[in-house]
Amino acid sequence: MAIGRAKIKSVGAAQSPLLGAAMFTPAVLYILLLVAGPFFLAIFYAFSDARIGNTEMHYVGLENFRSILKSPSFRIAIRNSFIFTICSQIVVIVGANILAIALEKTFRGRGFIRFLILLPWVAPIALGAIGWKWILDSIYSVISWVLVALHFYKPFNAPMWLGEPHLAIASVLLVHSWRLMPFSTVILLAGRTAIPKDIPEAAAVDGAGFWRTQFQIIIPMMRPILSVAVLFGLIFTFTDMTVVYILTAGGPFDSTQTLPSLAFAMGIQGSDLAAGAAISLFLVPLLIIIAYFMLRVAHRAEVN
Amino acid sequence: MAKKKQEGRSRRDFIRWTGSGALALGAASGPFFLFPERAAAQQKTLKILQWSHFVPAYDTWFDGTFCKQWGQKNNTNVIIDHINLVDLSAKAASEASAQKGHDLFMLLSPPAAYEKQTIDMTHVYQEVEKKHGKKIDLGHKSTYNPKTKRYFAFSDSYVPDPGNWHKDWWADAGFPNGPDTWEDLRIGAKKIRDKSGHPCGLGLSQELDTSMAMRALLWSFGGAEQDEAGNVALNSKETIEALKYMKALYQESETPEVFTWTPPSNNQAMLAGRVSFVANAISITRQAEREHLPIESKIMVSRALRGPVRRIAAEHVMDCYIIWDFAENKEGAQQFLIDYIDAFHDGFVAGQFYNFPCFPSTVPDLKKEIASDPRATPPDKYKVLGDVLDWATNVGYPGYGSAAIDEAFKAWVIPTMFAKVARGDETPENAAKAAEEEYKRIFARWK
Repeated sequence: MAIGRAKIKSVGAAQSPLLGAAMFTPAVLYILLLVAGPFFLAIFYAFSDARIGNTEMHYVGLENFRSILKSPSFRIAIRNSFIFTICSQIVVIVGANILAIALEKTFRGRGFIRFLILLPWVAPIALGAIGWKWILDSIYSVISWVLVALHFYKPFNAPMWLGEPHLAIASVLLVHSWRLMPFSTVILLAGRTAIPKDIPEAAAVDGAGFWRTQFQIIIPMMRPILSVAVLFGLIFTFTDMTVVYILTAGGPFDSTQTLPSLAFAMGIQGSDLAAGAAISLFLVPLLIIIAYFMLRVAHRAEVN
Repeated sequence: MAKKKQEGRSRRDFIRWTGSGALALGAASGPFFLFPERAAAQQKTLKILQWSHFVPAYDTWFDGTFCKQWGQKNNTNVIIDHINLVDLSAKAASEASAQKGHDLFMLLSPPAAYEKQTIDMTHVYQEVEKKHGKKIDLGHKSTYNPKTKRYFAFSDSYVPDPGNWHKDWWADAGFPNGPDTWEDLRIGAKKIRDKSGHPCGLGLSQELDTSMAMRALLWSFGGAEQDEAGNVALNSKETIEALKYMKALYQESETPEVFTWTPPSNNQAMLAGRVSFVANAISITRQAEREHLPIESKIMVSRALRGPVRRIAAEHVMDCYIIWDFAENKEGAQQFLIDYIDAFHDGFVAGQFYNFPCFPSTVPDLKKEIASDPRATPPDKYKVLGDVLDWATNVGYPGYGSAAIDEAFKAWVIPTMFAKVARGDETPENAAKAAEEEYKRIFARWK
């Protein structure tokens, strides 16, 4: 009887509009203050002549957009944002699938391996990027040191990982992939364990091999969760500036510049808030398109 | 038993004693204990933000001696925050946006962009000049806006940007006194690279030291970002000659590591015995002396290199203090600067001659002092800096350090132009043209 009353009370409380509003308010406040506020401020700045040192600003129409479109650094930043985002996602999804398959099996030390794989995601990104900066450093790189010690290169001619544009781009890609791989692995692992065991077993009985089971059964069934992993990965990479800022600061000569790092360089370091805001707005339509397509895919999979 | 008693007493008495102590302290503090706002009214606060100095001994003197004594003398609680030099711009931007922050903010390049948010420093300069005579032109051009006729900042000092070269290797290459001209650098650096593999370490990255070294090269060949009146003047045959020179120097004597560098990288490369020459302040040799590194006696300092047109280099960094319009203690901040110049000589010594004065009379025997430094091997290592004012100039030379020049500096237009040509990704002509267009775009935004 007592349990019944408690249940009724609990349901009643859950349906109370006041309690619902109270629980919903922090999320609304968070979105308004930390997302909507800066977003509308960026739109406002992008059409003004706002400078960091100025207290007043004027409407300038599309002037900021015209100005940044002329900048060669901006064109490189657009290109790099896509390269880093798309390529790192390909690496992450392939790598995370392989890891998820491996970690699904029971073996000795699996918990420890899972812990190690999760570390890059748990550690602050700035810390990880600084670690990579040292690993790829021009003077103290441990990789170069090993290559020289093994006589693959002469002492003063080891590869400059962050000094050659193509190597620097590859290095940034590597660090992005390293950072996102654990997150995708955990998501895909959860997805794989949610698939009823009798489905792949039935496929095996029907004669389906490993690859066929993966590509025609497991991965299609995991499409919604794969979409979530890709969606988050795309957004994290596309909007991230920490990796580039710490690893290369956009160099060598702007070859690794991305939209967020360029927006920071121009808007904050260069004092041109309006140009920085205009650059950052270029992220918005692309992110909306990505989010729309990914959510549509997820929704379709859910309906099916 | 006695021990037990003692233990019991100590526990109970601890609270009693501390309580009585707190009350006694409160009584001794008079009404301020009960009314802390009265105490605050009596004592002012001055909040200062500046970089973590490359010579840590300077910060020890500044925080522990000068600020402490000044605070006591002026009944002011002086709070000093030090941050990494690369974070200064972002921190200044956040304070300006929030309209709140430190009373006195030190930047390392002319902060002309903040002019509308800072107080005019004419009064501070006038007060200091009454006691210490005229400031140097470098200080004037870095803190003055000729259009508004305002001083948006106050500069106490600048840091010379000499060359640092490895004595033995340069002697082997036929230059026992190190390179004196850009041509010497090219010839000697190539000989060293060919013989021992040690590359030249002139940076080509998007960072402070590269920016200064490339400007020195540009000016030495007769090029400039702008003319005296502040019009963009980058795309010239002199600039193209400087670009051709850098391409040759890079291809003959450097490695791609110079594209990766951050401000400390050339220090590390020189101290690691890796490179034969870098352009940097005396932080390299000072670190070697401080840490008693064997290479200390091998690293020598040279004047700015002479080019086909002139011998010239930028200041390495320019101390520029601003006082925000919204600062809570503007009077205290101004007085602090005036008094700080009175004590500049102590700072010059504490900073191990890193910062040179903008008011030369504050260090009247500068040449004599730097010519005999017991820390250095040989003691006259820094003697070559005696005529630094003959060859050091401001960013924006031959014009002023304007807001547009500051943005172009922070957008790394000059290092990018040189780096692209050095790597062969652009012809000198196209790179100069592209850089000039970028300058014009930036200048147009500040008109």
